[in-house]
Amino acid sequence: EAKSSAVGSSQIFPSDGGEMEPETMEIKSVSEFLTKMHMGSVMSRQ
Amino acid sequence: MDAGGPLVSMRAKEQPFHVRYRMEVSCLELALEGERLCKVGDYRAGVSFFEAAIQVGTEDLQVLSAIYSQLGNAYFHLHDYAKALEFHRHDLTLTRTIGDLLGEAKASGNLGNTLKVLGRFDEAVVCCQRHLDIARDINDKVGQARALYNFGNVYHAKGKSICWSGAEPGAFPEEVMTALRMAAEYYEANLSIVKELGDRAAQGRTFGNLGNTYYLLGDFGKAVASHEQRLLIAKEFGDRSAERRAYCNLGNAFIFLGEFEVAAEHYKRTLQLARQLKDRAVEAQACYSLGNTYTLLQDYERSIDYHLKHLIIAQDLNDRIGEGRACWSLGNAYTALGNHDQAMHFAEKHLEICRETGDRSGELTARM
Repeated sequence: EAKSSAVGSSQIFPSDGGEMEPETMEIKSVSEFLTKMHMGSVMSRQ
Repeated sequence: MDAGGPLVSMRAKEQPFHVRYRMEVSCLELALEGERLCKVGDYRAGVSFFEAAIQVGTEDLQVLSAIYSQLGNAYFHLHDYAKALEFHRHDLTLTRTIGDLLGEAKASGNLGNTLKVLGRFDEAVVCCQRHLDIARDINDKVGQARALYNFGNVYHAKGKSICWSGAEPGAFPEEVMTALRMAAEYYEANLSIVKELGDRAAQGRTFGNLGNTYYLLGDFGKAVASHEQRLLIAKEFGDRSAERRAYCNLGNAFIFLGEFEVAAEHYKRTLQLARQLKDRAVEAQACYSLGNTYTLLQDYERSIDYHLKHLIIAQDLNDRIGEGRACWSLGNAYTALGNHDQAMHFAEKHLEICRETGDRSGELTARM
């Protein structure tokens, strides 16, 4: 939608709902996976 | 390069043991470096390391899943959503194949977020539902809360994606209002879980988006209550970006409540924080909002002061649309003060910018 510099009164303040918070992406970490593997092997030796 | 398919790990199996061992180590080293780079925000370099790790290959499908997932997230942060979609899909296929339920829930969540950004809301809803179903099945409260937050975001974005022109918050077509009500329900459901978990950071995010949803629904009282909670939590964490967002969103809500003085105070805090954060575009927006608020308060001299500040930043940023808006607003404010020379000067500047940017409706208004 083309923006116009001449804005009507209803468009002076945002009607797009303001600024959103960031998305939360799920994390799968290789380092955490390795730590768990290491802990698992230590535990199994005991 | 076939960076993707699940066949990657097969390459390693054709090699003798010592070669396979070296490949596993190399793959892990590359993936760990990719992970480190992404953590510090260098997603472009992170992608190179993850792709190199895939090239080397691994027989460990959990490691491969983590690489696909992080590649998808890195592309998401780089705004390359087609690539993000590709890798989150690979991750989903892989986790389903190996029967990793928690991994499948995470892949579904990431895929849902990506589909939402691409405007594919119906597919995004399916992913959010899968994320939620698995989280419930394995009694994962954190996962349930995250799925509900993502659901809220999908319905909020769906509501905003439906075209409305010139309508004020609360007066949108029924289809928009329905999507926004759904968003509010999911955010409220999320809040009840994250409050139970005592997760203040998650509560902050949800209050922010819930405030924006109530704002669009035209319930400005609830919008203010939500944004005030968001502000409180942002201060607890010393998160000045979130604090700045909350002040700006509060300013907008107070305008619609007719409390212009209160709105002006919030916009002034927005302006201070934008300056501290050195965010010139947000600084310009805050000046514009303040100019408009003082117009509503019929304090035209202050209005002119802020519109001039907006004009200077718009010129610095080479933002011709913003510059045009500033000139249009200045023309109106000088007219209200009876200063016709200045009013004419800015009206002519506005007309010149409209012609240059091909803004037909602005040009027509300027001629009036």
